[in-house]
Amino acid sequence: MPITLDGSNGITTPMYNGSITANAVTPSVNMKNRIINGAMVIDQRNAGASSGSGVYTLDRWQALATQSSKYTVQQNAGSVTPPAGFTNYLGVTSSSAYSVGATDYFYINQNIEGYNWADLNWGSANAKTVTLSFWVRSSLTGTFGGSFVNWAGNYSYPFSYTISAANTWEYKTVTVVGPSAGTWVGATNGGSLQLYFSLGTGTTYSGTAGSWSANYYGSATGAVSVVGTNGATFYITGVQLEVGSTATSFDYRPYGTELALCQRYYKRISRVDGSGGDYGIINFCDWNGTDSYSGNIISPNMRTSPSLSYSALSDFTYLEGGSTKTPTGIVSVGSGPNYIEINVVWSGGLTAGRAGWLRMTGASAWLAFSSEL
Amino acid sequence: MYKLIKSMDGLNVAVFRQNDNTSFVFAPDNTDYQTFKKEVLAGAELQDADGNVMTQANQFVASLP
Repeated sequence: MPITLDGSNGITTPMYNGSITANAVTPSVNMKNRIINGAMVIDQRNAGASSGSGVYTLDRWQALATQSSKYTVQQNAGSVTPPAGFTNYLGVTSSSAYSVGATDYFYINQNIEGYNWADLNWGSANAKTVTLSFWVRSSLTGTFGGSFVNWAGNYSYPFSYTISAANTWEYKTVTVVGPSAGTWVGATNGGSLQLYFSLGTGTTYSGTAGSWSANYYGSATGAVSVVGTNGATFYITGVQLEVGSTATSFDYRPYGTELALCQRYYKRISRVDGSGGDYGIINFCDWNGTDSYSGNIISPNMRTSPSLSYSALSDFTYLEGGSTKTPTGIVSVGSGPNYIEINVVWSGGLTAGRAGWLRMTGASAWLAFSSEL
Repeated sequence: MYKLIKSMDGLNVAVFRQNDNTSFVFAPDNTDYQTFKKEVLAGAELQDADGNVMTQANQFVASLP
């Protein structure tokens, strides 16, 4: 009984008086999409609130800008209906009508770690072709730009795409033949590829679309400037960057998987229900009258030794020896990718050897670990 | 503005960035640490753990990993 295995038709096996063919399916492949949070679902920092430029916005997505306060970024800004199959998008809104200078740039970008890019062999004769696909919607129309840039910022591939109708979701694809030249970080925890979507880029950093150049170009020459129109919008979701010359269906990953991928770079402890009230987060031991220490395991591992940040000292209290104290400092004094030692400082009154616990005291309190690229 | 942090052993082990309540150890792969080194070498203020402005900040930062 012959059975045919065909790359196009799948498996064909004879049956009585005919044959039956199983549909060919595209197997789910881990990390087919090299972009993390491409569906814009995870927003640990802002939980849907607006953020400015020059900072990380939705998880893994950075707003790079040479000028401050020219645009805001918010998950689901404007509350439009996302493209079919998506529930979220990253929304940019221009805050003014800024005339972009020659050396200005305004991007939404994602930095990809070397471990997640090294197998593409960029910078060698075996460099693999990749295809970028995404859904985009803008109040403006015309030719928009972006770029693939190496970490050193001296080798880039500007690309362009056209938005034909205002305020309408459109699906775009860009195929890029991998470069045989340029310096690309290998399998390390360092940055490898910078993917830019331009919101306005000056002439100094704009180059010819569709070719590699030994320059830092963040966008294509002549691309639309979103920041040039007050109130202009630029919404994007379903960003996928995959090996091959054809865009395939978006690789939805389980929420927990996507969150864990994001938490390699940023992890925030906050009250998920948004309510007030105190709640303990970390146990400490008093070292002397003013210092308490806590050792903490971080899982999953972060990209590197994380920074420690917090909302405000007034958002925290310490319960120890039957009383409540307010800290005068919360700092990291030791860390690696999977641990962090925290020192909480007090004005006095602690007793060496006592235990206590740090509590968050309000709805806006947060503590975060960051190892972003 | 940056301020050094000492361990319980009295050694400088980390940095506190005062404008956004962020601290980090001397880890070369940490981007906050990389920015700290660049900014101090470019003239940003660095205080020692007691809050005194360091007059030899450049030399200190240059000696870090």
